[in-house]
Amino acid sequence: MIAGALDTKSRLAAILFSIAAAVVLGGLVVGLTGANPVSVYLEIAKGAVLGRGLDETLARSVPLVGMALAAAIALRAGLVNLGGDGQMLIGGLAAALVALYLPVPGAARAVLALAAAICAGGLYAWLAAILQLNLGIPFLIASLLFSYIARGLTSYLVRYPLRDPATGMPETYRVASGARLPAHIFDLPVSMAMVIMVVVAVVVVVNDRSGVNGFEWRMTGLNARFAQYSGVDLSRQTQRVAFLSGAMAGLVGALLILGQQYRFTDGALLAPGYTWSGLMAAVLAMASPIATIVTSVFFAALQVGGFSMERALGLPAVLTWVLQALIILCLAARPILFRKR
Amino acid sequence: MTLLEMKGITKRFDGVIANDGISLSVNRGEIHALMGENGAGKSTLMNILYGLLKPDAGEILVDGKAMDFTSPLGAIAAGIGMVHQTFRQFPNLTVWENLVFQNEPRQGPFVSADAARDFVRRLGSRHGLEIDPDSLVRDLAVGIRQRLEILKALSREARILILDEPTAVLTPQERDGLFSAMRELAGKGMALILVTHKIPEVIAITDKITVMRDGRVSGTLVTRGTNEAEIIRAMVGRNVPPTVASRVTSDARPMLSVKDLSVRKGAVTVVDDVSFDVRPGEIVGIAGVSGNGQPQLISAVMGLEPATGVVSIDGQDISRLPIARRRSAGISYVPEDRHLTGTAPAASIAENIVFGTHRNAAASSKGFLRKDAIRAQARKLIERFRVKAASEQLPIGSLSGGNMQKVVIAREVEHGSPLIIVEEPTRGVDVGAIEFIHQTLIAERDKGRAILVVSSDLTELLALSDRILVMFEGRINASLTGSDMNEDTVGRWMMGGAENR
Repeated sequence: MIAGALDTKSRLAAILFSIAAAVVLGGLVVGLTGANPVSVYLEIAKGAVLGRGLDETLARSVPLVGMALAAAIALRAGLVNLGGDGQMLIGGLAAALVALYLPVPGAARAVLALAAAICAGGLYAWLAAILQLNLGIPFLIASLLFSYIARGLTSYLVRYPLRDPATGMPETYRVASGARLPAHIFDLPVSMAMVIMVVVAVVVVVNDRSGVNGFEWRMTGLNARFAQYSGVDLSRQTQRVAFLSGAMAGLVGALLILGQQYRFTDGALLAPGYTWSGLMAAVLAMASPIATIVTSVFFAALQVGGFSMERALGLPAVLTWVLQALIILCLAARPILFRKR
Repeated sequence: MTLLEMKGITKRFDGVIANDGISLSVNRGEIHALMGENGAGKSTLMNILYGLLKPDAGEILVDGKAMDFTSPLGAIAAGIGMVHQTFRQFPNLTVWENLVFQNEPRQGPFVSADAARDFVRRLGSRHGLEIDPDSLVRDLAVGIRQRLEILKALSREARILILDEPTAVLTPQERDGLFSAMRELAGKGMALILVTHKIPEVIAITDKITVMRDGRVSGTLVTRGTNEAEIIRAMVGRNVPPTVASRVTSDARPMLSVKDLSVRKGAVTVVDDVSFDVRPGEIVGIAGVSGNGQPQLISAVMGLEPATGVVSIDGQDISRLPIARRRSAGISYVPEDRHLTGTAPAASIAENIVFGTHRNAAASSKGFLRKDAIRAQARKLIERFRVKAASEQLPIGSLSGGNMQKVVIAREVEHGSPLIIVEEPTRGVDVGAIEFIHQTLIAERDKGRAILVVSSDLTELLALSDRILVMFEGRINASLTGSDMNEDTVGRWMMGGAENR
């Protein structure tokens, strides 16, 4: 894949080039609408880091980094996980069920809810891996299609059996405050979800750089035949990597439910499009975990800045999605634009 | 007289100079050898001639006219044809369909099959390269498929024909057929450029030799006035003694024992009831034309392919074990294709060396890699096996073919397994590295290891092996030792043996 052919230095150059090219192209688009590109970019930048913008950027980074790492873990090992939506939904649902109905004290409920979400998201992705290994259905397809099943299932559950009749919305009851993840730890502007994501991200990075498992996954992504020849059990590894990728997405679902939304509302987890932004961040970072964290925080800032720009200038925040897409397109087009003869 | 002239061709890649002022001139009716180690710049030069690369400086003259190729189409129009090492053919189509592709004779809106067949027959008889227009390409022997490749170039009126290592896949008999065809084409006034590593065939067939080293021409020789030693000196810049294996045979009990091994692919039996032993202290070579089951046999021994029969190492039955357990039971394995199977080209040299033993205490503890130890070990092997690499951190894919192969062999030999299986030990490897790899294998044998070598290069097998097994249509049809190990006898068994006498 793209990642294979590039060393670190030219990879960084490629990423920076793609961003620069996308900024120029995006500026042209803005210019065509009659607005001033410079002031648009200025508003985006200010909105992302100034005042409350920084808090919002950090808050948005938590799910985005999580979904980006979910995609990157799989991508690094040669698997394309397009089913982040479904795994996040199933994880979020599992967390909500445990947090709402398990008769144990509050904090324990939160811990068990997180564990349930990790297992549920992981198993959901693992099922798709099993389909690939036993029936030859590509993981890419199966994981994507499983998302639609998860959507239908969760939508039904929160509309009928689990519905809170008091709100008039298709959603569950609110999670009791004891089972929620605190939004501030020791009155610092740091949420529990943030701490959990930082710890998980560190584990992922360390495993990738120095872990025996991370090494095997990376080598498999670079050349699966070589990995098999060197004694890696590819089937078991595929199952494991799929599980972990799905578990990460499931964890994101739980962090959103327990730390931000406090109930499972139909459609609320998917509306911000974390899965797809995350996937784009992972692709832009060519699946390197550290770079993935950087690019996904960058995308979070871009999105937050976009909303602020919309408020200030009245231009639609969708522009930032256009920018994200342009960055990826430029990255993909780079080998053709710079073809050597 | 001069048909092709290349003058002062220079080409840089990212600051590295691949061709440095190369000049090459080929006359009408001449067979011209282009020799050199891997990384010497032969491929770059030929890709420039065929319009695949643009030179930074220099000019190409065909018939005295300056050419400026922007793509192979320009080169083809100027009468340059190329026979690639890997055939570019549609295996599921017939010979005539392959030959007239993109140049189909028409009858109204339809392709006229009769005219096409006729065209193929006339083309074949004009050049003495007859071929049945209605055969399916996938059913043809490699030699015939190569003939088709040559005909394809000729059908586009090629006057200059580049042949890239054409004998790598041929039996000795097929090779002789190719050589007589080449002489015939030269006799008609064509210019032929033969890109090769193999000195005997250069001496046998060519008129002139251009030798390249490090991107420059290191020798222009007239074949009749030169000898093997002079060519080698021009290629590697020093004298290389020919490899001679001392032939010792041991009667110890077998290290590898294969009994009644069969591999089936659908209805086809690709490995058919094969039995043989390899004992400590001997090198057993497996010869055979490609496509007779050699890779499947090795895959079955390694556990990469489902098979029936018994494989045992030092008396222990390993037939049911997965590949990792087989390797730890005592097999080192150098696979045929170092890019596809033997390495991860984008990973570093050190990572490629440690992968496979990275769970051992020397390379990791408690689930974490010991990176310093891994790098130190890689540096040690790079030095001991004289790998030309600036750093163990470089991607292994940046090395030349010979150096890459040395790394793979170093890794496998270093495992210390009692059995080493080597497929194509020196394919696409330069002369200097060939010698080193052969010496390494012989040294390992002399230490008492059992070595199984599969190679399509008969010269190599004859030089290395204490015993040669010949595979034909999935069976081992001959086990040859002593004076029977010569090109003629082995070649005859490769073609099926007795009935072909």
